[in-house]
Amino acid sequence: MDGSEFVVLDSISLNVDEGNFASIVGPSGCGKSTLLNIIAGIETHESHEGGSIQVFPKSGAESTPRIGYVFQNARLLNWLTVEGNIQFVLEAQKIPRDTWDGQVAKYLEMVGLEGQEKNYPLNLSGGMQQRVAIARALAIEPDVLLMDEPFSHLDEITARKMRFDLMEILMRAKPTILFVTHDLGEAVFLSDQIYMMSTKPARIFKEISIDIPRPRQPEDPVIFDLEKDLVREFFRVLEAQE
Amino acid sequence: MIEVYGDPASYIVVAQTLLRIFEGLVICMIIGMVLGLLMGLERNVEAFFDSWIMVLLTFPAICWAFLSVLWFGFSDIGPILTVVLIVFPFVTMNIWEGTKAVEKELVDMATVYKADRFLMIRKVYIPMLMPFVFSALRIALSLSWKIILVGEAFAVGSGVGQKLIYWFEDTRVDMMLAWGVSFMIFMVVIDLVVFRSWERRTFAWRHQIAN
Repeated sequence: MDGSEFVVLDSISLNVDEGNFASIVGPSGCGKSTLLNIIAGIETHESHEGGSIQVFPKSGAESTPRIGYVFQNARLLNWLTVEGNIQFVLEAQKIPRDTWDGQVAKYLEMVGLEGQEKNYPLNLSGGMQQRVAIARALAIEPDVLLMDEPFSHLDEITARKMRFDLMEILMRAKPTILFVTHDLGEAVFLSDQIYMMSTKPARIFKEISIDIPRPRQPEDPVIFDLEKDLVREFFRVLEAQE
Repeated sequence: MIEVYGDPASYIVVAQTLLRIFEGLVICMIIGMVLGLLMGLERNVEAFFDSWIMVLLTFPAICWAFLSVLWFGFSDIGPILTVVLIVFPFVTMNIWEGTKAVEKELVDMATVYKADRFLMIRKVYIPMLMPFVFSALRIALSLSWKIILVGEAFAVGSGVGQKLIYWFEDTRVDMMLAWGVSFMIFMVVIDLVVFRSWERRTFAWRHQIAN
């Protein structure tokens, strides 16, 4: 399929279309964060037996895809300003300097932090720091955006707002996303596809497409019903394992 | 003390000593930071230098002082070399420990975004090391000036150290104290004024008040 990514890990295979939002949902310890880290290159897959990772970027020309990553905590460099943090990854990705100001302004505005360029991370709230991390990831215009439970360390109110804002951001920026979470409601609200993962052995046991049109409303009953179905599905599988 | 500082020639003497301290300090910091960083980042380097650093640390300082006189005679190099040899292992150890203590999370983040070694060192490692650099600098300074004075007393014909030994041989305790105490006050002032304000500016991102 045009512009799709194909990922294989042991007996795990994921197929994500370009511009799609795919979630990997599973209980803690099922290896979903590890999967993400292997894709991102901070854990080596040689330590795992007999597997291979292949990611094909949409351009096809580059051999290594551009990857953006939003972690559970913002992981900003506190000694750099907000714009300094974004410039850091732009420099790391060897993006030409004359585009930097434009990219910084554009993506800060997109996450609702326009004007914050010269501020330091320690002066920002947790939610704002995470927004900077999102702007940072988007600013390099990645082939794939990896997100590892990015809202799990925020309070519920802030997390809800961030989810909604993320949905709106992605309608404008349209990256391809691989999102890891243990929160099924979050996954249903945000995703086009959900991969359900179980543990022992780590495997994907189901794939679901979510066809609800965007913009989605968090209070939408269809979302609740779908979440309930998936929870039931999870319990069925987990109990069958015991 | 007025006798000492009323005479303009005294200031030249102080300046000589300060210059030697400065030179020794700079050399120490450069060697210490480079070596410490290398040891923290590269396993082979660490393994190689580990024992050497411990040897240098435990080598009696006084031997260095005498050895430099033997090798270099009564020139400037003696005290400076002594300082470097005695102090740079401390700086190295400090920076080395600091490098190993860097937050893996931030290094991982930079790795994911494909920051090359040079960018990683410039924007991640060095800022994270600054607290260690400052503590190493303060230790190095406090060691260096005493060593320089001793070195000057024994070997070189100039500087504050020389004044100390001159008045010692003349059994003029008051003059010894005049030179010694005033110089010590001088060093304390430098520490407070230069280093504290430099430190405050470097860590401004911690203390900044939100707009």
